[in-house]
Order: sequence, then structure tokens, then C-alpha cells
Amino acid sequence: MFAVFALITLLGAVLMLLQKNVIQAGLCLALSFIGVAGLFVLLGNPVAGALQIIVYAGAILILVLFVIMLLNHHEEEAAEKARPVQRWASVALTALLGAGAIALVLSSPGLKALNAGATAAVPMTLERVGETLFSDHLLAVEAIGLMLLAAMVAAVTLVKKEL
Amino acid sequence: MSPLLSGALQGYIAVALLLFIIGLATVLLRRTLLMQFMGVELMLNAANVALLAFARWRGGDVEATIFYLMIIAVAACEAAVGLALVIGLHRMRGTTDADRTATLKQ
Amino acid sequence: MRTAWLIPVFPFLGFFFNLLLGKRLGKNAVTAAGVGSIALSFVLACVLFVAMLHAPGHRLELAYGEWMSAGAFSVPLGFVIDPLSGIMMLVITGIGFLIHLYSVGYMGEDSGYARFFAYMNLFVFFMLTLVMGSSLPLLFVGWEGVGLCSYLLIGYDYAQADDVPAAAGLKAFIYNRVGDLGVLMGMFALFAAFGTLTIGDILLKAGHLGPQLGFGLLTFATLMFFIGCTGKSAQLPLYMWLPDAMAGPTPVSALIHAATMVTSGIYLVVRMAPLFQMTPLTMTIIAWVGGLTALFAATIAIVQKDIKRVLAYSTVSQLGYMFLGLGVAGFAAGFFHVFTHAWFKALLFLGAGSVIHALHHEQNLMKMGGLWKKMPITGWTMLIATACIIGFPGTSGFASKDEILYLAYLKSPVLYWMGVAGACCTAFYMLRLFTLAFLGEARDARAFEHAHESPATMTLPLIVLAIGALGAVAFGWPTAFGGSFRIEAFLEPSVSYGVTATEAIIHHGGSPALLAGISTVLALGFAWWGWSTYKGGLEVAETRAGRWPFLHRLLENKYFVDEGLAFILVAPLRWFGNVLWKLCDVIFIDGIGVNLPGALTRVAGDFTALFQTGRVRNYVLTMGLGGLLLLYVFLK
Repeated sequence: MFAVFALITLLGAVLMLLQKNVIQAGLCLALSFIGVAGLFVLLGNPVAGALQIIVYAGAILILVLFVIMLLNHHEEEAAEKARPVQRWASVALTALLGAGAIALVLSSPGLKALNAGATAAVPMTLERVGETLFSDHLLAVEAIGLMLLAAMVAAVTLVKKEL
Repeated sequence: MSPLLSGALQGYIAVALLLFIIGLATVLLRRTLLMQFMGVELMLNAANVALLAFARWRGGDVEATIFYLMIIAVAACEAAVGLALVIGLHRMRGTTDADRTATLKQ
Repeated sequence: MRTAWLIPVFPFLGFFFNLLLGKRLGKNAVTAAGVGSIALSFVLACVLFVAMLHAPGHRLELAYGEWMSAGAFSVPLGFVIDPLSGIMMLVITGIGFLIHLYSVGYMGEDSGYARFFAYMNLFVFFMLTLVMGSSLPLLFVGWEGVGLCSYLLIGYDYAQADDVPAAAGLKAFIYNRVGDLGVLMGMFALFAAFGTLTIGDILLKAGHLGPQLGFGLLTFATLMFFIGCTGKSAQLPLYMWLPDAMAGPTPVSALIHAATMVTSGIYLVVRMAPLFQMTPLTMTIIAWVGGLTALFAATIAIVQKDIKRVLAYSTVSQLGYMFLGLGVAGFAAGFFHVFTHAWFKALLFLGAGSVIHALHHEQNLMKMGGLWKKMPITGWTMLIATACIIGFPGTSGFASKDEILYLAYLKSPVLYWMGVAGACCTAFYMLRLFTLAFLGEARDARAFEHAHESPATMTLPLIVLAIGALGAVAFGWPTAFGGSFRIEAFLEPSVSYGVTATEAIIHHGGSPALLAGISTVLALGFAWWGWSTYKGGLEVAETRAGRWPFLHRLLENKYFVDEGLAFILVAPLRWFGNVLWKLCDVIFIDGIGVNLPGALTRVAGDFTALFQTGRVRNYVLTMGLGGLLLLYVFLK
């Protein structure tokens, strides 16, 4: 199961990278998000999974798609000047980092230790989250609310034609 | 390879790292600002995966999920403001190509 | 007696006054200060001379404290007045006064009048310091100072368009400088030998140490001193500056390059006479160099066209005679020649100046002639001076020169015949000069029209100098002809100061009367030949020159010495300078030292600027590469 969702996630990400059409890239990103949600569920955290779908795939991604459609730039523009250095260096960097990451993960003794000493997880429930959220972290919630307000105001202000 | 595919901690961390790297690659290789934004979101998600994976193997903290909630909230704000900026930039320059919007040199 | 320090100080005050205030206060003030200071010095010098005569051992030592001291090294500030420096003092202030008086008329219309007198006074100050100083450093201060004033005064017309005076001044100073190195080395050697630089102490110690002293060091010291003398007194090989120095005004030539500065070399040798007597090698060298110079310069003078140049080469030649005399241990004879030469050479120069002044600065002998009628005083005084210099019997020149020739014969007959040859040439060219200038027909009618006798300020010194030239003979009439050669006994305390073993320098051999007779007859013969060649004008000389063109050209161009030096010394140095400039300075220092770091910085900057693109993608790439590096380090 893990392998399936991991594959979906990574496939979505790679497809997003390679797509020419920006809308299609967004949709591949959505696929990736769904894979991530699945991974969260596998991790015993259905709350996180649900939140992932609702907020990320359902709000943020939709916002991005709306903006794409608003600006009407579906295809990537032609490059001003071909920059092979950037392209090939980035590819090389990506490859190296990828290989390095895998090597690191496989060889890390810390991860092995953590893996070995784990107990069976108790699945997360919404009640637990809500309880803790609104009792211990109430200030954070309020702050988040203010932050969202500020972001909203900022977004509106930034796109106004006349101030 | 087996720990990677069997749903052990290494697997989740590997996925997180690879997602991050792909997100980085998107920022490096695509010129459209919105594509770069999507790469950034991907990187954020990778961090989330890593966060929750570690949380599960350290005893299933509820704090982790709350932290995750905060991260999503922040991501949402950032998305709103960022996209507003992209629209503003498009209004001024008529382009959303990252290379064309650089004005440091001619 | 304590006021002896005023003797040099009067001219120094005159210099100061004329330099700072002269221009503003007008000609009369300048004259009063410039000439008056010398007159005061002369009076005071006479007083001190008399005081010296009454002092024990004919020696006055005046100490004014210590000049410098460092550990065992100590140089006092003081004056020594003995017969040698006494005579020099009187000559400098006396003849100096006459020349200053002459300059009032000669330089009267010149705009730099104050500057001229200031420099002349400064010169007298330094010259007095030179002869009166009790220690070698003080002497050297005077030595250098007169070189400086020579430079200033030769280059007096520095604004002249063709730069000739300035270049001549520089040439004089540089040649002097080369010689000064010799004096310095001599001083160092003497200090190494005796541990003191006070002249009296050195001579006393030398007298005591005598034969035990390592003759190598002493010979080195005296040779070095002599090199300095060749520079200052214009002998071979450092004489080339003196003919060019004629670019300065005529009073300068008279005072500096005839009577005083050029004689400072002889003064130095006579002052250190006991040391020189201990080094026979140096004495031989001095004698031969002197003799060669005397002949060499005399040959060049025969064909010179400029009246002052003839006199300049004549001075070089006469200085050669003086050194010849010193080299054969005739210190008194050589110095007596200094004394007599001061009179008649100054007279010759001032007379020439009178002629030049009358003809409105015409110096070419070929354009003169027939001035005897128009300028009687100048003519008679010049005739007297000519008679002295050719050694006409009965004149002072005869006395001093023949004494030198006699002593030279005792050393080596070759030296004697060199001297005689020089004397013949001297007679020839002096009569040539006199005939071309004063006798015959005027060759340039226009200049001749305006010629007139010079004013009293100029003719009075001429008359006084003529009387002095004739009278000087009284001090040194040779023993061979019944005289007592008084000057020798008079100079004895100076010449043999500190010498313990008093060996009377008795001269044996030869017949002084015969030798003197031979040289005089030959000289008079050449003098008559010179007169007869030129009495009718230039035709005889020109045909003769046409018969020996090569020789004529050689002599006229001074044996091409200056050109040779320019080729051998100056051109390579200039080439080397060019190399240093183009290679070392431009390429190494400018190019590699200065420009290269600048260029490198710019290249480095340009390279670094490549990374500043303004594109976020590039920056993220750089960050990623950094992260990769960190990862690598971590994994290690």
C-alpha cells in the first residue's frame, strides 16, 4: 500500500515538472496531493489526510488554477535566451541530490534505530485534535485567524487597481 | 531496497526527500512564476510528510497534527499573498516569465 | 684677535643682505653691502696677518667650540692662521675686493645685480672658510661651498635661451662632485689612520709616527686628495669643466676660475705637505699629471677663438705648473706661483672683460683688433700681465715659473722639457691673444666704432692688479739670481708643521741659471713668433692652419675629449637609463606592480559579476549547490 501511494505521489510530482501546459501541471499536482493524503492515512492520521485534501487540494490548488485561468497563460512562454548552464546544472544537481538523499536515508543509523523502536500507532482522531487545539493552543488558533485576515487584506490590496 | 518499499520510516523519509528535490527542480527548471509557485507548494508538502512520518514513529503525538494544521494555514496565507503579487506583476510587466522580470542587468 | 670669525662672516652677511633685501633697496645699497663687506674683511685680515707675524711660531689658533662629536670622534670649530692661510686670506679678500669693485662697472646694467653680489659674497665666505678652517670637515664645507657658488655663478644667466650657462654650471658641479668623492675618501683614510680630523693634530701625529705608519693607507689618502684636486683645480682627467665655465660673467671667471677656487687644490696639498712628503708615489703622480696638463692645455689654447677660452686653457695649464712644482717637493715654489698667478691671471681676465664690455659682449678674437689706441689703460695692463705670464725676465711669473722648472729638472729632465714646451706654447698663444686683440687693424669695424675705455671702477682694479703683479716678484726672487726667495722661509712653518726630523730641503745639481736661461730664451722666441704671425692679421695663421688641417682640427676641438667622454661614458649611461625606464619602470613597476593587480581585480570582479543575474532561479541553483556540498560533508 505504501508503495502505491508513494508511487502516485512521486509520479504526480514528476509529471507536474514535465508538463508543458500549466493547467495540466496543476492537475498533476492535485494527483500528488492526493497521494500525500493517502500516505498520511497510512501513517495512521486520517485527520491530516482529510485536511490535506480539503485545504491543499481543495483550496490552495483551486486558487492557483483560478489565477492561471485569470492570467490566461496556459503555455509556458518562449525563453528569452537559451540558458544551457542553468538547465544542465539544475539537472545534475537534482540527480546528485536524489542519489545522495537515497543513500543518506538508507545508510542512516538514526533512522534505523527509530524504525526499530516504534510501537504500533494509535490512529489520530479528530476529537483528540480538537481537544488539544482549543485548550492548549488557543492562542495559536487566534493568531492563525489574525494571520489569515491579514493575508486576505493584503491580497485584496495588492490587486486593487486604485488604492 | 526493502525498507524503502515496505512502509518503514526510511520509505516515508525517502518520499519526502524526493518530493522536496522534485519541487526544487521545478523551481530551477521552469520559468513561469506559477509553475515555480507550485514547486514551492510541493516542497512544503514534502516537509509535511516528513513531519508526520517522524511523529508516527515517535509515538503518535497530537501536537504533530496541530503543527501540521498551522503549516497548512500558513501555506494558505502565503498562497494568497503570493498569487496576488503574481497578478500585480503581470499587470505591470505583461509577463509572468521569471527571467523577463529580472531587472538587475540589461 | 677673537674677532677673526668676522672675516668670513662679513661676506656672509653681505650675501644674506643682498639676497633678501638687495632688489628692494636699489643698486647703491647692494654695492655698499657687497663691496663693503669684502673691504671690511680685507682690513680685518690685514690686522690678523700682522698679529700672526707677532705670534710664536707664526701660528694663531682660534677655537670656537666643538662642532660635532660622537664618542671618540670629535671635530672642533676653529680657525688656524699661519703663513699659508694668511697669504690666502689676503689674496682672497684683497683681489676679491678689486674684482668686486670691477663688477660694479661690469655688471652695472644687469638686472640681477643684487643676486650677483650675493653669490659673490657667499663665494668669498666659503673660500675663507676653506683656507682658515682648522679641521678637514670645515675645510670640506668650504670646498663644497665654493663648488656650489661656482655653479650658481657660472649659471648666472640661467634664463639664456640656449641653456649654455646652465649646462656649463651643471657640468662644473658634476666634475667637482666626482673630485669631492676623492676628498671624502682621503678624509676617511686619514681618520682611520690617525683617529682625528683636525689638521694640526693629523700633522703632529704623522710627524711622530713617521716611518712606522703603513704607507699604503697614507698613499691612498694622499692620492684620493689629489683626485679631489684634479676636480677642483681642473687637472687631467677632470679639467673639462673649466673652459665651459667661461659662460659665466667675466668677474666670476677672474675671481673663481683664476685666482681663488681653482687654487684650493694646491692649498690642500700644501696644507697637508708633510703627509705628501711621506708618500713619494703620490708626489710622482702629482708631478707628472701637472706637467702633462700644463703642456696639454697649452696646446689647445693656441687655436681657440674666444678670448676667454684662451685664458681658461691658460689657467688649466698654469695650474698644471703649480702641481708640477708641488710634485717635485717645491711646495714654496708651487705656492708662490699661485700667488703670482692670482695677480696676473685676474688681471688678464678683468682686462679681457674690459675689452668684451667695450665691444658690447664680443668675445671672438677674430673680430677684434687695433684696440691699443682706443683703450690705453686696458692695453698697458694687459701687456704687463702678458709679460708676467710668459716669464719675461724680471717679472713675478719669471721668478715662480723658473723655480718650478729648476726643481722639475732635478726630478727628471723630461718634466723640465715638458714644462719648457708648455712655456713656449704659453708665450705663443698669449702674444697671439694680445696681438689679435690690441694690435693691427680692426677686423670688425662696427664693434670697433663703439669701443671706448672702460669706466674708472673697472680700470682702477686693473691698474692696482698690474702694480701687484709687478711687485709680487719681490717676495720670491730666486736665489740663483741673487735673491733670497723669501717666500720659502716664510712658508716654512706651514709646510713642515709637525715634521720632527728637520731635513733642510737643499737642492743640488743642475745650474738653475742655465736652465732658467734656456727656458726664458725659448719662451721669448716663441713670443716673438706669435707676435710676428699675427701682427699683420689672420692670413699667415690661416695658411699655416691650411697646411696642417688635421692637427688644427684636433687642437681646435680640444682633442675631442668631450665628444669621447660623451661616447664612452654618457651614451652608455643614457642607454642604461633608458633600459631602466622602459624595462624596469614601465614594464615591471608600472605594468606588473601597479597595473597588474588592478587588471586582476577587474577580471575577478567581472567574473564575480557573472553570478549577479537578478534571476531567482540562478540564486536557488546556487543555494542548491551549496546544500549539495553540505550533504557531501555530512556524508563523509
